[in-house]
Amino acid sequence: MPPSRFPIPQGTLDMLILQILSTGPAHGYAVAQRLEQISRAVVQVNQGSLYPALHRLEQKGWLRAEWKASETGRDAKIYALTRSGRRQLAVEKDSWARLAGAVRLIFNEGGPS
Amino acid sequence: MNLLNWFRRARLEYDLDRELQYHFDRRVSDLMEEGLPESEARRRATLEIGGLAQVREEVRDVWFTRWLRDFVYDLKFSARSFVRSPSFTAATVLSLAVGIGATTAIYSLVDQLILHALPVREPERLVLIDWKGDPVSTGFGSWNLMSYPICRDLQRHDRLFDGVLCRAATTITLSIDGAPEPTAAEIVSGTYFHVLGVGTALGRVLEPDDDQPPGESPSVVVSYDFWQTRLGGDPAVVGRTVRVNQYPMTIVGVAEPTFRGVDVGEVPALWIPASMAAYALPGFDNLLDRRTRWMQVLGRLKADVTPAQAQAALQPWFATMLVEDMGRPGFPRITAERRQRFLASRLEVTPAPQGHSALRRRLAQPLWVLFAATAVLLGLACLNVAGLFLARGFARDREIKTRLALGASRGRIGRQLLADSVLVALAGGLCGVALAPLAMRTLIEFLPRDTAATALHASTDRRLLAFAFAVSVAAGLLSGLAPALQAGRRSLIASLRERTGIGGGVRLRKAIVAAQIALSLVLVIGAVLFGRTLTGLLAKGPGFDTTSLISFGIEPRRSGYTRLDASRLVFRIHDEVRAAPTTAASAIARYPLLTGGSWNNQMTILADRRIATDREVNMNAVTPGFFSTLGARIVAGRDFDQRDTRAGDDSGPRTAIVNEAFVARYLAGRNPLGVLVAVGSGPDVQPNREVIGVVTTFSYRGLREESEQAYFPMLDGGEGVDVAGNFYVKVRGTPEQAVRSFRALVHAADPALPITYVRTVDEQVSRSLNAERMLATLSGGFGALALLLSLVGLCGVMSFVVSQRTREIGIRMALGARGSAAIWLVLRDAAAMIAAGTAIALPCVWMLGRLVESQLFGVTPTDPVTIAATTSLLAMVALGAALVPAYGASTVNPTDALRAE
Repeated sequence: MPPSRFPIPQGTLDMLILQILSTGPAHGYAVAQRLEQISRAVVQVNQGSLYPALHRLEQKGWLRAEWKASETGRDAKIYALTRSGRRQLAVEKDSWARLAGAVRLIFNEGGPS
Repeated sequence: MNLLNWFRRARLEYDLDRELQYHFDRRVSDLMEEGLPESEARRRATLEIGGLAQVREEVRDVWFTRWLRDFVYDLKFSARSFVRSPSFTAATVLSLAVGIGATTAIYSLVDQLILHALPVREPERLVLIDWKGDPVSTGFGSWNLMSYPICRDLQRHDRLFDGVLCRAATTITLSIDGAPEPTAAEIVSGTYFHVLGVGTALGRVLEPDDDQPPGESPSVVVSYDFWQTRLGGDPAVVGRTVRVNQYPMTIVGVAEPTFRGVDVGEVPALWIPASMAAYALPGFDNLLDRRTRWMQVLGRLKADVTPAQAQAALQPWFATMLVEDMGRPGFPRITAERRQRFLASRLEVTPAPQGHSALRRRLAQPLWVLFAATAVLLGLACLNVAGLFLARGFARDREIKTRLALGASRGRIGRQLLADSVLVALAGGLCGVALAPLAMRTLIEFLPRDTAATALHASTDRRLLAFAFAVSVAAGLLSGLAPALQAGRRSLIASLRERTGIGGGVRLRKAIVAAQIALSLVLVIGAVLFGRTLTGLLAKGPGFDTTSLISFGIEPRRSGYTRLDASRLVFRIHDEVRAAPTTAASAIARYPLLTGGSWNNQMTILADRRIATDREVNMNAVTPGFFSTLGARIVAGRDFDQRDTRAGDDSGPRTAIVNEAFVARYLAGRNPLGVLVAVGSGPDVQPNREVIGVVTTFSYRGLREESEQAYFPMLDGGEGVDVAGNFYVKVRGTPEQAVRSFRALVHAADPALPITYVRTVDEQVSRSLNAERMLATLSGGFGALALLLSLVGLCGVMSFVVSQRTREIGIRMALGARGSAAIWLVLRDAAAMIAAGTAIALPCVWMLGRLVESQLFGVTPTDPVTIAATTSLLAMVALGAALVPAYGASTVNPTDALRAE
């Protein structure tokens, strides 16, 4: 049994997907595996919510998808970051950093824990 | 975006399946590599992904967003519930089908006749160039008339225009391989096809080169339809010779299929260059005369020039031209005041993407009136459906309450009801569109038709379908709005409480019925006004006796006759007609009666002093016996006789007969006999015709018109003016018999001479009332439908109220109230609705009156008798309809009513 993990916070899944795809195009399964690796220790990602997220990001124009031969030779739907997706990632990273900073600030203010 | 996805959802589903399958297969094979048996690997993979169906659902939500999916679900639900209640469905769909069908049919005519641009290159750049002011010239034709030379002048303004054309519609006698037939033609400048940007299916179009000196380019282009129907689509038609008014001309091309000329109401079979005008219009030799107006001038503006700019830029040249014109030989001598008016003339440039149409001008207003009427009818149908939905909403109260209790939002339920009405409206629209072509054909039958066919057709094209769809959706939303709002507003507690009170949106439904009564009152009053106009005109008649009166026409000049020969032929045929056993009396007129047109001009009258008429007098030349043939009385003086009709030398006595209207306007209070008159109003006009008689006033142009008229004798064998033979014959026996003998007579005189028309004068009267008949019939039909719809609505609401108040009525009866009291209870409600409807309608009638005023005759739009009679009639009929449920109330059995709860 894996150690107790907490569910991924609302809205961060999109950011994580964009981050993973910023290193290069990948199909859904590869994204899932990468998520799995990142989150093994900490967060729990429901694989079922991956595909709605991918389609949502594609719909918004942040991802572009095409059917291409994968490493196994079988056709897979490969997602890649678009220019506006890259901009969006920067925006989300920035706001995440600010949020995290603000939360840390509040914890520090709040006295020893 | 979402909608787009909806249309390619099959593709999306397929791709999603493949994508998920790929994920699943990879996961299974990875797990098996880790050492799991296949069945276990499959189980794990499924578990991890959390159910494929669930994932699919969630991805679909991304594609279509919720509302779209919900809406589709709603539509399915609605469709199911409609199938369950067929009579309700039929009632609503039928109401809307009638409304949408009628609106679509009338809109189709409005679109084709008024809105639709010509099928030519960039029609939006076409403009009509028209003369505003006094052109000091004579004109013949329809409207916006200009001379040919001024069109040539305008063609030089190539900084403003990419070309200028002129055209005139006419009827010619066309002979192909012998058989002569009256045929619609358009006389056009050589620039015509180039300016419009119209090509050919075969051969060449007319070119500017065809605008050569008069008579030197006998080339014609035929229309595609004519080529197909009359020339059998002959591929070798180019180069063939046809005879236009017996003059040989060569077909040089066939126009492209979609092109039907610039007048939607008068489609030409062929185009003749203006340089051949003398042959297309026999005896016309004024092509190059600047004072003869007979053509419309259309221009194609340069891309960056607006009509206003073009108008302003033309003015300096035009002002100079006016001054030059006055110095030209042949310019008439005119009074100083008239010269001023002439010099103040200007050119007006107006957008004309729809070309130029006399029919449009005549029918535009009646059509808009009818369109407004159908819009009202459609509104009424929507109200009806809204009322029915409200009623059903109450019946479905239990279902709705259950859904609310289960947590459905009010918005969601409102939307469901909206989906209901949109679905009904779409079904209604579908039926309406199916019915529309039939309605359109009937409508087109109402339109006046002569030699030229109209380009109006009864087919539904994409524009029309789009219109019907938009109207259906709008009607659906409109009729669903009230029930949806009602559902959204009613709270659960309130609707539970309503169970014993008067609920079910009765107040709203009463308001709807009041609005329905208002709308139908407006329509019915309109129908009565148009009906009275038609019957008034028919009862008045043309002012002469039309029984057994037949008219027919021949145009020998269009068959190659010279003036003298034509005149001889007409009189010879007339002698034979008069001798025929079927003839009681007969006469000839140069211009036909009741066709909308006339020969008209100002006149000069010399009585005590010299005056010019302040408006144009309608004139005609007739043979002796014309008035007695028509049964019009000579009230003073005498009719023409041989003394007046002797041809030849100008020194002979010249005479005229005027009508009573003429005397009343210009010669009131003095003896008209012996007064001298002449045609024209210039200072050089010599009044030399003696008035020898006064005739009663009768209609000449049309039934509405009873203006000043003057008649001159038709000279026997005269060479001065053309003799066109419009015969008026009072016959014995049946008209058919007489017509047969006339045809034989004309055929014997010249087998190649076509009869241009033959009909009874009653028929002619009826034809001249086409627009009035269309308005009266259609508005009557709309009024009846409207009345029916609102009576059904009223009856429905009242029965509902009665069923709601059964308990109350039962108690009252138990306490000793009579049946009549129950009736009164219901009728009072109905009377309140009728009164409210009337109060809404009357100001509307007053406001709309202006719109229809010009279409009426012998009755004002706010005619108190009409309004009072119609209102009280409607009120009585409505009360009668309310009596049915009221009677039901009076027969309520107290015991049953009380036990029912």
